Amino acid sequence: MLRIDLVRVLRTLVALSLVSRVYAASTFPEYPLNQASDYAVSTQTAGLTIGVKAVENLKDQETYFHTELTPKGFVPVFVVIQNGSSGDSFLFDKTKVTYGPADSSASTPKMGSKAGESLAVAAVPFVGLFAALKIISGVSQVQQNLLKKEMQSTTLSPGTSTHGFLYVPVLKNAPREKTHLRVPITRIGADEAFVLDLVF
Amino acid sequence: MIKTCYSFLAVLLFCALLFSLAFVTTGAQTVSPSGTKLPLRAALVVTPEFCETKFKKGSWATIKETFEVGKIACAELEPALGRIFSSLTRVTEPPSSGDAQVVLTPRFVDVGATTTIGAFSNRELDVFLEWTVKDVAGKTVWIETVQGSSKHHMGNMFTHSKNLKLIVTDSVKDAAEQSASKMSSSPELRKLTQ
Repeated sequence: MLRIDLVRVLRTLVALSLVSRVYAASTFPEYPLNQASDYAVSTQTAGLTIGVKAVENLKDQETYFHTELTPKGFVPVFVVIQNGSSGDSFLFDKTKVTYGPADSSASTPKMGSKAGESLAVAAVPFVGLFAALKIISGVSQVQQNLLKKEMQSTTLSPGTSTHGFLYVPVLKNAPREKTHLRVPITRIGADEAFVLDLVF
Repeated sequence: MIKTCYSFLAVLLFCALLFSLAFVTTGAQTVSPSGTKLPLRAALVVTPEFCETKFKKGSWATIKETFEVGKIACAELEPALGRIFSSLTRVTEPPSSGDAQVVLTPRFVDVGATTTIGAFSNRELDVFLEWTVKDVAGKTVWIETVQGSSKHHMGNMFTHSKNLKLIVTDSVKDAAEQSASKMSSSPELRKLTQ
C-alpha cells in the first residue's frame, strides 16, 4: 500500500515538473520558420535568398510578443536569410539595414532636388528596437523577448541561414504604407557588396 | 495496479533519457570541429570606452538598474579567446599595422533582464555581444553576435547589488565562452589559416 502511494507521489511530481516545463516553454512561442523562398515577399541574389513577413495581425503580435506593437508605432517584420551557395560566405550587418517608403526604390535622385531630400530622409538607418524598448514600457519579460527575437548581425557560411525580427516604425492609428527594406550584404573575400531590396 | 504504475514510470524515464540525449547532441554541435587552436596571431581590441560600457535599465515605475558589462568583459574576454588562438595580444586601439593576422573588435549590442517580485525568484540576464573580425588588409572577414545568459536570484534590498554583480559576471563569462566557441568553429576564420 505504501509502495503504491510512493509511486503515486512520484508520478504526480514528474507530471507537475513536465507541466511547468511545458508552460515555461510556451510563454513566448517561437514564430514559425519557413524556407526564405516560401514567403510571399522574397528575393534571391548570388545564391542568397531573403524572405520577409510583416506580422501585422494584432492577435499574432499578442501571441508572439504578449503586446500589441502596431498601436505603439512598430510593426515586427520576420526576416529569413538563407545562403544556398556552396562556397561563398556573406556578411549581414544589421546596422546597415535601412527602411523607407516603397517609392524610395525609384532611380537615384539628384541630392539637391526635393525628391532627393525626401529619399535621404526616407532611408533611415535601422535602430528600431532601441526606440521601441523605450516606448514599450511594461513587463521586463516582454522587453527581453523582443530583444531575444530581434535579428542580429552574423556571418552566413555556405548552407546556413539566419532569422529574426526587425521592428519597423510605422504611423500609429493609420493604415500602414508600403515599406521598402534595403538589406546590404557583403560577400567575403571578393569584398563585393550588394543590396537585397524588398517591398511589403 | 503497481505494474501499471511502474510501466508508466519506465516510459517517463525513457522519455527523460531521450530528452537528455537530444540536449547532449545539440550541445556537442557548438564545440570546435577540430578541437585545436586556430593558428592565427590575433589582436583583441578592448578600448577604454568598451571597458566602460554600461546599460541603464528600468523606469520610475520599476527598479532602476545599471549593468556594468564592459568592466567584466575586459577581464574575461582575453583568457577565453586566448585558449583558441595560437597567439592573442590585447590592444586598446585598432592596430594600424603590426603582425596580427586578425583583429577582433567586440561591441555590446544590448542587454535584456527580467525582473521578479520575489527576492528568491530567479531572474535572467541576456547579454548581446557583437564581434567584427578583420584580416591583415583591414577587410571584414567575420561578424557574429553572441548571446550570453545566466540566472540568479533577484535579491532583496540588502543582497540586490551583490546578486546584480553575480548575474552580470556570469552572463558576460557565458558570452566570452560563446564567442570562443563561435570563432573556433567558424569556417571563415579557419580558411584564413590555410
